[in-house]
Amino acid sequence: MASRGYRVRDIRLAPQGRRSYEWARDHMTILNNTMARLRRTRPLKGVTVGFCLHITKETAVLLLAARELGATVAACPGNPMSTQDDIAAFLAKSGVHVYAWAGQTKKEYDACIASVLSHGPSILVDDGADMNVMAHFDRRFSGLKVLGATEETTAGVTRIRAVERAGRLRYPVIVVNDAHTKHLFDNRHGTGQSTVDALLRSANLLIASKQVVVAGYGWVGRGVAARCRGLGARVIVTETDPVRALEAHMDGHEVMRMADAARRGEIFVTCTGQTGVITKSHIMSMRDGAILANVGHFDVEIDTRFLLKKSHRVREVRPGMEECTIRRGRRVYLMARGRLANLVAAEGHPPEVMAQSFSNQLLSILHILENHGTMGRALHRVPEEIDVQVARDALAAMGVRIDRLTREQARYGDSW
Amino acid sequence: MARAGSSRIRDAGLAPRGRALHDWAAARMGALRSAASSLGSRPLAGLTVAFCLQVTPETSVLVLEAMGLGARAVACAGNPHTTSDAIAAHLAASGATVHAWAGQGAREFAACARRAMDASPDIVVDDGAELSVLAHTRRAGPRIVGGTEETTTGVRRMRALFARHEARYPIIAVNDARTKATFDNAYGTGQSAVDALMRSCGLLVASRAAVVAGYGPVGRGVAARLGGLGARVIVTETDPVRALEARLDGHSVMRMSEAARVGDVFVTCTGQRGAITARHAALMRDGAILANVGHFDVEIDVAGVRAMAVRTRRPRANLEELTLRGGRRVLLVAGGYVANLVAAEGHAPEVMAMSFANQLRCIAHLARHAGSMEPGIHAVPREIDEGVARDALRAAGVRIDSPARRTPGPAASA
Repeated sequence: MASRGYRVRDIRLAPQGRRSYEWARDHMTILNNTMARLRRTRPLKGVTVGFCLHITKETAVLLLAARELGATVAACPGNPMSTQDDIAAFLAKSGVHVYAWAGQTKKEYDACIASVLSHGPSILVDDGADMNVMAHFDRRFSGLKVLGATEETTAGVTRIRAVERAGRLRYPVIVVNDAHTKHLFDNRHGTGQSTVDALLRSANLLIASKQVVVAGYGWVGRGVAARCRGLGARVIVTETDPVRALEAHMDGHEVMRMADAARRGEIFVTCTGQTGVITKSHIMSMRDGAILANVGHFDVEIDTRFLLKKSHRVREVRPGMEECTIRRGRRVYLMARGRLANLVAAEGHPPEVMAQSFSNQLLSILHILENHGTMGRALHRVPEEIDVQVARDALAAMGVRIDRLTREQARYGDSW
Repeated sequence: MARAGSSRIRDAGLAPRGRALHDWAAARMGALRSAASSLGSRPLAGLTVAFCLQVTPETSVLVLEAMGLGARAVACAGNPHTTSDAIAAHLAASGATVHAWAGQGAREFAACARRAMDASPDIVVDDGAELSVLAHTRRAGPRIVGGTEETTTGVRRMRALFARHEARYPIIAVNDARTKATFDNAYGTGQSAVDALMRSCGLLVASRAAVVAGYGPVGRGVAARLGGLGARVIVTETDPVRALEARLDGHSVMRMSEAARVGDVFVTCTGQRGAITARHAALMRDGAILANVGHFDVEIDVAGVRAMAVRTRRPRANLEELTLRGGRRVLLVAGGYVANLVAAEGHAPEVMAMSFANQLRCIAHLARHAGSMEPGIHAVPREIDEGVARDALRAAGVRIDSPARRTPGPAASA
C-alpha cells in the first residue's frame, strides 16, 4: 500500500475531512497571517518534513501550510487512537504522504513512523518523541540526514532531554512546548477546555457540585482545575512537587495525597506526564461510580491493565466509557481506555490555540532550516523573537491592541 | 414511521441502545428513585398518564417509575427535534405507548400530541403546554383530572390562556418549584448550553465575548458557565432588576443593539420572541455564533436572518453558516431550536432527577387530591419541594443541620 504514498482507513471520507479542515483553517487566523508573509518565497522548497502529530483538522492546516511553502510532507499519528480518519483521507487526497488511522496496534503505529522516516525527511516535527527516538536508535535509519527537529509536548521533552543527557543526541531539537505562546495557551486553555468537553460528551453528567480530583498541577493541571471549577466542581489537587502543591493550595483548591483523594473523588483527571499515578490500591478504595480520565500524553498514568483485565466485568456503557466492576457493587468508569481523553472522546484543542502552537512549529522549522549549522547537538528554546511574533499575531487576529512602552518608560526600565 | 404495537417510532431495533442510555441515567437519579419509593404501593394504579416531554434517557426513567407505580403511560415528544430514537424504542419495548421520533415536521408533531390525547389520559405531564393547550382549545380530554407543567414557557402559555379561557382542571407548575427552577434551569441549561457550543463549534470559549440575552434562572446559569470557561460575558435584559443583578454579578450589561456589534457568541434565554432580529444580525462581526436555549425557536429571527443570506453551507453537524451581503458570516446553531437538547444531550441526569422527582410526586398528588383542587395553576406544595431537596442531598451523601428546637427563653417569653 505504501506504493501509493499513503495509508488511511477510507479514502472516501476525504470530502468530510475537507469540510472539517476548512472550519479549522478559518479559525486559525494567526497561522494564516504567518503564511501570508511567507507564501511568496516558498522557503521550504525541496525540503522533506516528517510530522508525527495527532492527525486532527488543526494538524491538517499545519501540514498543508508546509506543503504550500514548498515542502514534501510525510505524516503519521502521535498516538494510535487519536487519528480523525476523515482528515487522514483528505490529507492523502491533498498530496500528503500520510500513514494514519484510528485504533492502531503498537506494531502498526511503529510501522507508520517507519514509513514516514523512509521518505528521508531532513526535518522532524514530533509530538511525544516517538519519531525522534526511532530516528536515533533504529538501525534502519542510522544513515538518515536530519538537520533538526521540534518537539510539541511535555512528555516528549522529558524523553528527548534524556537522550541529550546520555550524550546520544544527533541533531538540534527545538522545544516548542516551552514557548510561552505554546504552553500558556495550548496546555492550559486548550487541554482545560477540551478535557471538560470530553467529560461532557462521554458522561453527560452534572459537573456542578462534583468532587473532581486533578492529578498534577503543571500547565495542563492548572487549566483542567480552573475549567472544572468554572463549571461548578469542587476541585482537589494531588502533586509531588511542593511548590506546585502550594500554588494549588493558594489558588483555592484542596490539596491532599492521592491515597486520601481516591476515597473522596467522583471524577479523576490525570495530567502528570508520569506513570502509576492512579494505582490498583487507589482504585480499590474508590467510591462506586467514580470516573477516571487521563489527559496526559501516554496511557500510563492510570493502571488500565488492572481495570480492563482484572475487573469482574467490563462493558462499554456509553461510547468511549468502560464500566469496570471491580467488586460486587463497586463500579469504576474508565474513559477512552486511559488514552488521552480530550483527543479520543472530544476533538482535542480548539483551533485558535493550535494556531498559536503551530505558528511556533512552522517558524521553528524555518529557523532550523536557516540556522542548523550553528545549533549543535543540543536542545534549544524557541527563539524569543518567534514567541513574541506569535503573540503579536494572535492579538492582531483577535483585534486586540495594546500599549507600547513610552520612550521614558523604556529608559526607566533600562536604568539602575 | 415504524409501528411497534400501538407506538409509532423510528426503529424498534434501537431498544438495546436505548436501554444502556437509560441505565446510565437511572443510576444517577437517586432523588427520583427515593421519590418513587416514598409514594407507597401503586398509587397510580388504573390511571393513564400522558407525557409530552423531551424524549431523553432521563424522561424514560420518569416514565418507567410512573409505570412502576401502576400507571399506564403514553408519551409524545415535547419538541419535534429533540427525540432520542433509541430511547423511544426502549420505552416502547418497556410497555409504554410512544408517538415520537427525531426530526418531525410541524404536522407530525401536532398529530403525535393528538394521538397522546386519544389515549384519554387522566393526568397530562407537559413541557411547553402542548397537551393542556389542546385540552383547552380543541377537545376536552373527558377524563383529565389534572396536569403538570415542566417549563417556563409552558407556564407562561397557560397563564395567558387562562386569562381568556376557563381552566378545566388544576395544573401544577412544576417549573416554579425551588428544587426545579434553581437547579434544572440554571445548572442544567447552563452546563448543557456550553456543551452544545463546544460540540457544534469546537471553538475556544476563553477570551470570547459571549452575549447572554435574558438573565432569568437560565441566563444566570449560562452566563456563569461561559464565564467559568473564560469568556467575557455581556448580558442584555428588559427587566431593570435582573439587569442590575447581572451587573452586580460582574457582567457587562448593555442593549442588544450595542452587544450585537461586539459579541462573538450569542445565547438567547429570554422566553421571548425576537431577542435577536435580522437587524441585529446585520450589525454582527464576521463569524458570530448564534444559539437559542429557550423552549421555542422564536428567540432568534431565523427566517429573517436566513433571508439576508446570499450563501448557506453546513460546516459541521448542527451548524449553519450564513454568508450575508458584504461577505460577513453568521453561524446558526441547531437552526435556532433549543440548542442544548439538539446539539448536546440536554440536562445532566442529576438535575433531571430533581425536576422529575417533583413531577412524580406532583402526579401522585394529583391522583389523590385533584378532586379537591380548584381548576387553574397551582404551586408545587412546599412539602414536595423540600422533600425533593432532602432526597437529593441524601443521594449526594450530604447531611445538614436542623433548625434549633425552639426553647422557651427570655426572648420567647417577653
